[in-house]
Amino acid sequence: MDIDADAELMLRVAEGDRSAFTPLFDRHHRGVARFAFRFVGDRARAEELTQDIFVKLFRNAGRYRPSARFKTFLYRVAANHCLNEVRRGEYRVRHVSEGPEEGEPLEPPAPETERPDAHLAGRELEAALGRALQALSERERAAFTLARFEGMAYREIAEVLEASEAAVKSLIHRATLAVARSLEAFQAGAEPLRSRA
Amino acid sequence: MSCETENELTAYLDGELAPADAAAVRAHLAGCERCRATLAVLRRTLETLQGLPDFEPSLALRRQVLGRVVDAPAPLGARLAALLRPAVLVPSAAGLLAASAVAVLLWGPGRTALPPELQDGLALGVALNYEVVADSDYDLLGLDGPDDLEVVEHLQELEGRP
Repeated sequence: MDIDADAELMLRVAEGDRSAFTPLFDRHHRGVARFAFRFVGDRARAEELTQDIFVKLFRNAGRYRPSARFKTFLYRVAANHCLNEVRRGEYRVRHVSEGPEEGEPLEPPAPETERPDAHLAGRELEAALGRALQALSERERAAFTLARFEGMAYREIAEVLEASEAAVKSLIHRATLAVARSLEAFQAGAEPLRSRA
Repeated sequence: MSCETENELTAYLDGELAPADAAAVRAHLAGCERCRATLAVLRRTLETLQGLPDFEPSLALRRQVLGRVVDAPAPLGARLAALLRPAVLVPSAAGLLAASAVAVLLWGPGRTALPPELQDGLALGVALNYEVVADSDYDLLGLDGPDDLEVVEHLQELEGRP
């Protein structure tokens, strides 16, 4: 059987080799954190979820079977964890538009060369996207996030979400259309404001 | 009124349609202004999303996760495989007696009933020989829940035995 490099590392982790976990984390934690961020809409919550997901991955290494691609296994753990935590209510979603809490860093810092009005527009767009994502169903949001921000193919998303490809195609279409309409409406409304800047 | 083809437009943009289906969408688009407009909105949205700044997790995240992994017990499968090597597996008569006594104390008459997952004799036997019993839940067995018990039950597979 053709086993990818990640799968080999995961099998070593399962056998008790902790050093094999570091390269796995380094390769995949940005993607998992990005997925969690888009899913819950909050930076601090996303990092907490990412921590939990990787610790869970380590503890359940013995359950991994190399018949499944490692990335699929990882995102299945991530998606299930995010879905469960959101449903449990421990990770209350806070829209980006509500602004940072005291002591919390601002959402992604503007490059020094970026104009202030462009940065403001970017933050408003992020906030509008956050609202649009939170208006989706959880499965639509998961499918949309995996497709749009992780670049996964529909077949791979179907394996992650344990759904049919036809169902994933429908989830992604509904989600993309809903986000498109929200962003179009936002941009139509925000356009005059930005044109004065 | 929307047409059926609208449902195919996102998959069409994503390159997820079979060639024949993509050709059918292209042919439809030539004659449907509404679908062309929807396609344009979808395309603009995908371009907008691609232009958003990437989410970059903090440096502290790496330190925190790897720190937790260093402190965590080894994965359950590795711990059990080590414990169930033949030299360790053969339980002493005293060990069996002690485990039985603890089981009677904890789950004897008047005590809380076992969770259904623990009522299997083999799984409980393995679990009792694996950790010191302190309370009648999964934690006392070194397990996180029924999922881990499933791993215990399939130890033969972990060790590659038939």
